[in-house]
Amino acid sequence: MSDVLTWLAEPLHYAFMVRGLLAALIVGIVCPVLGAYVVLRGMAFFGDALAHIILPGVVIAFLLGWPLGIGALITGVLAALGIGALSQHKEIKEDTAMGVIFAGAFALGIALLSTQRSYAVDLSHILFGNLLGVSAGDLWLMGGLAVVVVALVFAFYKEFLVLSFDPVLAVTLRLPVSFLRNLLLVLIAVVIVASLQAVGVTLVLAMLVTPAASAHLLTRRLPGMMMLGATLGAVGAVVGLYLSYYGNVASGPAIVLTETLLFVLVLLFGPRRGLLWRRRAAGL
Amino acid sequence: MIAGPRWTLRLAAIVLALTATACAPTGANTPPDAVVAPESLTPVALAPAERLQVLATTSIVANVVAAVGGAGIDVTALVPRGVDPHAFEPTPQDVRRVAEAQVMFENGLGLEAFLGDLVHNAGTGAPVISVSAGIDPLPAGAGAEHGAWDPHTWLDPQNVIAWTRTIEASLAALDPQGAADYARNAQNYRVELAALDAEVDAQLAGIPEAQRTLVTDHEEFAYFARRYGFTIIGTVIPAPSAAAEPSAQELAALESAIRTTGVRAVFVSSVVSPALARQVADDTGVQLVTLYAHSLSDPDGPAPSYVEMMRLNARLIAEALSR
Amino acid sequence: MAELFTRPAAHDPSAPPLQVDGISLSYDGVTALRDISFNLPAGARVAVVGPNGAGKSTLFKILVGVLKPTRGEVRIYGASPGGHVCIAYVPQRSQVDWAFPVSVADVVMMGRIRTLGLFRWPTLGDWRRVDEALHRVGMLELRQRQIGELSGGQQQRVFLAQALAQGAELVLLDEPLSGLDVPSQEAIFSILDDLRTSGVTTLVATHDLNLAAERFDQILLLNRRLVALGPPASVFTRPLLLEAYGGHMHLVPEGEGVMVLTDSCCDGEEADHE
Repeated sequence: MSDVLTWLAEPLHYAFMVRGLLAALIVGIVCPVLGAYVVLRGMAFFGDALAHIILPGVVIAFLLGWPLGIGALITGVLAALGIGALSQHKEIKEDTAMGVIFAGAFALGIALLSTQRSYAVDLSHILFGNLLGVSAGDLWLMGGLAVVVVALVFAFYKEFLVLSFDPVLAVTLRLPVSFLRNLLLVLIAVVIVASLQAVGVTLVLAMLVTPAASAHLLTRRLPGMMMLGATLGAVGAVVGLYLSYYGNVASGPAIVLTETLLFVLVLLFGPRRGLLWRRRAAGL
Repeated sequence: MIAGPRWTLRLAAIVLALTATACAPTGANTPPDAVVAPESLTPVALAPAERLQVLATTSIVANVVAAVGGAGIDVTALVPRGVDPHAFEPTPQDVRRVAEAQVMFENGLGLEAFLGDLVHNAGTGAPVISVSAGIDPLPAGAGAEHGAWDPHTWLDPQNVIAWTRTIEASLAALDPQGAADYARNAQNYRVELAALDAEVDAQLAGIPEAQRTLVTDHEEFAYFARRYGFTIIGTVIPAPSAAAEPSAQELAALESAIRTTGVRAVFVSSVVSPALARQVADDTGVQLVTLYAHSLSDPDGPAPSYVEMMRLNARLIAEALSR
Repeated sequence: MAELFTRPAAHDPSAPPLQVDGISLSYDGVTALRDISFNLPAGARVAVVGPNGAGKSTLFKILVGVLKPTRGEVRIYGASPGGHVCIAYVPQRSQVDWAFPVSVADVVMMGRIRTLGLFRWPTLGDWRRVDEALHRVGMLELRQRQIGELSGGQQQRVFLAQALAQGAELVLLDEPLSGLDVPSQEAIFSILDDLRTSGVTTLVATHDLNLAAERFDQILLLNRRLVALGPPASVFTRPLLLEAYGGHMHLVPEGEGVMVLTDSCCDGEEADHE
């Protein structure tokens, strides 16, 4: 038993691992809370697009020597509001418009970064995360953003619920639909920014979608879906980090792989809605 | 639920593109086809006032070549000052520069991973000389991917003295009329280098034996350590190139090593992002010191020439480790 | 944002619950509704009928405030719909996301959002109101069920309970009876009776002309314009039906009366634009 404890405790002797663990936990807990809305409202493509559109903002901050989080926040909020406004436009098909902006912004970010002449490592950090390089300042920023996001979700919980479940009801009840929808988009952007250091631009979608999707298969009510999603997210984050330590693999991808494995397990074995369960119930 | 194969394809394309750029291109440690020995060079036709057009890879190579070539050549560096040559990505402009050169000088030993493809694309047939050829190289550390040798020969002035012989022979073969000048320049420079060597030795002599330990950001100081009697405890990135990533266990091992051996400073090269090294230094409570190891500084900076660069490094190391 | 802080419009008790005046809606050169005008008294129970594309859903969306008419005015108890929170819209069952993780009680509680106000969570008193509404529609035992686990009739009743919890005084139901067996339809009608007794005005869009004729006091016959509004006997006459349904209908004499066959089917085919 003490072997297992040593094994668990060993990485925690190093400050950078403790910071990485805290960062991963923050991401694992907060992403699925917003992720519930992303999954239920079919916004996965939007979430992915938003993450990639943030890239040029991060790169510009990087080249100017500003904190990356600031560049990401400004770009993220602007992008969220911009996409929100765009989706109100009748003539442009939302899917196409997002696709065009998504690819263009991403290319812009990489092009800007390549002016630096040696950019492969930095690009890899931005795209896939740099959990080992999380500083104390980074943790404060992530934690602060996480607290703000969770507080706002809590404050507007019932309004977001109505907006997501029945948009016509939201109008009927004279809720400020534009404000609420934009607020939700901005909160998703903020969560993405908070998660960039842990898993990077390309993998943050997984943290938004996968634990929430697993939870959706296991719960019947939204609060349960959020809490179970947060739990699965946290578990996956910790397991993934230990996996990266002892297996010598990059940490961001290790966490995402763990979350994906959890999803597959839930899909196959989950009570009531798991595939195997249903086959047994059908008497096959 | 999830938006279908669209984003999966996109993700795959991005990963592929990134792998392509991040991997060392084919010219990695096999010398470009055009690398030749000085003996096999043939003279280049030059008009009376015309100077030999020389292209060097790094600013350090360019500086030494200029010291030998003097007024007889026009030399420029391909890799801009402040840029890491390990991860340098050439642009089409650089292909043009290669095409216009009459001779190229590289460090060799795998430093310039970008060069093979670049020369191939330029298709000129101009000769490429490895200035580090003929030096007894150190093997790269255990963390090296596919490189066999440690290319950072210039951190030992004795090696640069050897460089001058190769450069002198090459320039003389290409431009026999200037041979006498090149010989004289080279000799003068060798005297300067010998004096530098002694000066550095004296500067570092004051560091007690127990403190003659180095922790650097990647494996770059092996030749320096061998020449001046230092031990390398470990590197933040256990590889000869900064374009690599340490794993969590490697970082942990380094921090343990720093704590056990009581090392006083982590040294990081000026061209590399110091973030990871700074984190290691902060976590273990040691100093972070920036040295010039891959590139000269700007002309009005603290290390505008090779000689001044080595003097600066010696002084900074002495200050950090003598406290 | 300001909407969350404005008080709902005050009702003028002397004004009729619903006053529609010259409503038209056109877009892209298409006229969806043309010059519709009518008034309804409190407690009226009106069946809104017409062929596909007649504009039933469009009219409902205008009444509710989701769409704005190109011309004309709607007044609810004397004020425009914008300020009111007393209108309830019960959607077609096909429009609802039944996989959403909410229970029956959760859906009914949504109706009370404006009563609760910003930043407040439901109290025990609020849950009691929800239970009362569920009891009135006979769904109290199923309050914890996730909505996807309900039958068609039960699903319909949940949204009616939501309208009750909201305290709606004008309720619009979009095809509530389609696909329901007779007992389920009866359950709905008994709730509608209950609403009528409380003075709630209801409009029910339906394809089932026979049911409309049997169970409703008033019929609103629509085909982009108001063809007729009145008791079934005066609306379901051959000339009016032909005018509304045109070629989409056959009248078959049967015994003493007439059997009406229309080719309407499917829900929600009217042009869906926002």
